[in-house]
Amino acid sequence: MKKLKLTDIAKGGDSQLIDIDVDELVPLPPPYDKAEEFPGFKQLTEDQRERLVCNLDGVVSYAALPKPKNKAEEKKYVKQFISGLKKLLSKENNWTFLQPLLLSLDYCAQCQTCCDACPIYLGSGKNDLYRPTYRPEIFRRLVNKYIKPGGKLRAKLTGADIDLNWTTITRLYELSYRCNLCRRCTQACPMGVDNGLITRELRKLFSQELGWAPKELHEKGTMLQLDVGSATGLRPNVAIDNLKFLDEEFTESTGINVSTPWDKKGADILLIHSAGDIISFPESPIAFTILCNAAGLSWTLSSEIPGYDGINYGVFYDDVQLARVATRHAQIAKKLGVKKIVMGECGHQNKALMTVADRMLTRELNIPRENVMTFLENLVFSGKVKFDPTKNDFPVTLHDPCNLVRNMGVVEPQRRILRYLCPEFREMTPHGIENYCCGGGGGLSVMSDVNFTDWKVNVAGRMKFKQVLEAFADHPGPEIEKYLCAPCLNCKLQFRDVFEYYGAKEKSNLIFGGMGELIVNAMAIMKKPFLSWEEE
Amino acid sequence: MAQMELAGEMYEVDENGFMQETDRWTEDVARAYAALENVNELTKDHWEAVNYLRSYYLENGICPMIRRLIKVTGFNLSRLYELFPQGPAQSACKWAGVPKPTGCV
Repeated sequence: MKKLKLTDIAKGGDSQLIDIDVDELVPLPPPYDKAEEFPGFKQLTEDQRERLVCNLDGVVSYAALPKPKNKAEEKKYVKQFISGLKKLLSKENNWTFLQPLLLSLDYCAQCQTCCDACPIYLGSGKNDLYRPTYRPEIFRRLVNKYIKPGGKLRAKLTGADIDLNWTTITRLYELSYRCNLCRRCTQACPMGVDNGLITRELRKLFSQELGWAPKELHEKGTMLQLDVGSATGLRPNVAIDNLKFLDEEFTESTGINVSTPWDKKGADILLIHSAGDIISFPESPIAFTILCNAAGLSWTLSSEIPGYDGINYGVFYDDVQLARVATRHAQIAKKLGVKKIVMGECGHQNKALMTVADRMLTRELNIPRENVMTFLENLVFSGKVKFDPTKNDFPVTLHDPCNLVRNMGVVEPQRRILRYLCPEFREMTPHGIENYCCGGGGGLSVMSDVNFTDWKVNVAGRMKFKQVLEAFADHPGPEIEKYLCAPCLNCKLQFRDVFEYYGAKEKSNLIFGGMGELIVNAMAIMKKPFLSWEEE
Repeated sequence: MAQMELAGEMYEVDENGFMQETDRWTEDVARAYAALENVNELTKDHWEAVNYLRSYYLENGICPMIRRLIKVTGFNLSRLYELFPQGPAQSACKWAGVPKPTGCV
């Protein structure tokens, strides 16, 4: 494998910095150990190489990255980048994350302890490009050289001289989307340096200063959400119509009355799902409807834009969009007069509104927000719903969504539920705050431009898929039905891509789903299983 | 923006080949997409799914839930995969000339 120097990032113009060789990736256990049996890593076509900026690793996550027409345009982008760097480092322009950013720039001891913590670096077979220190150290040196007084001279003398040119910034852009922001590196760092945050701030610079952001996160993400109500394009009337359809479907299939309340003023709880769950994993919102009604809770959904789509991609790339979405969510809750907001099963959604947005939601917008896992724990142990755990008589393992677990510290509630309701629950190794990211974290799970999905299923999601398989090593084949509990929409999307790519359903009879579905499956009142390993 | 030739005309498409100009769609476009996935004849069942997807999209600005597609057409998921080799989202939506579903779906 090619050894990379930090200074290589600036060299070689439009040529690709490294190649990814699937044979060098960390091996998967059988029957997933033969790379040639899978669909394969799509290589860029000649036409794409001609049209697109593809100077990093043969993977493109953003086809619309502009190609400058001349040197003057190149210089303009470089100037904008430096202006963005300055803003990131000033309190007037970076009120959100200035202090942890400055500390992270100052205190890295170059010990490389974090490298062994990074699932992307490990999964890649320890490719230097994905070293969790590679991108931050380049960023640090650019700050030292271009922002600090006397930096250029000092860079020359110390040999830390990285040229900031068109190649550097475009590679840094793509490289900022080769990280899940899972912050396992941060947790491992003896100094508390947050490489995940540095990456996120780099994305912010590109978005807020140059207007570069993945179209799935920005144009078809937060922009669409603020405009029509949801990043899926789901409009309020269509959301209500879909849920009505689902209520009827599930009333018929379960034999119990499934009825989802909308826009109930004065309800105790505003529940905000991800609209993607309504469309792609409808068992999740329906499970919440069944559970909340069975427990006799006073609750409601909102059809106000964007009160039925709790996602907040701003957390991944842009403070302005983050603030806009979070404020709207809180305003909707205020208008309904609810006592608290509960987000559905989605990690970044919970973290965005509960903790990241905390400083924006002041005074009347400071409405209590509860983590979905403690909400479900209280519901399960309230005594209001009867369960028969023998209904969940299949092996279950638990995926820890980084944002719920490592980044919010909610570890035990979901485990108490599983230990109670799933007799064959087993942990992965490692788990809890030591979990590996699914590979779709940091917004990556919704990105699928060009050949990016191939990178996610081959590299980013590799360590997770490996540990999921290892958790079921006692039943590797298709004879026994197995369930991966992944209480987060973004994680489920990543698992969907990974399971489809490797054929996990066929080879291992392995399905995935949320926590709510497992709980409903164990309800004593259910005449038929809520979960199914068969397709519809 | 990438360009793609379908049934003798050039169209703007995304990098995954999805049409960006929904209103320029014709039945020949659907046939041309199908041929690229080695489906050389579009049957009544194909058209039923494609036309439903398209009309739902034009009315609602979004593709229907798979569950709804199954309910309306009466085709189960494996039948849909028989008809559309890469499935309802990757093949059927593409052949129907609507943009690729995005946003946590």
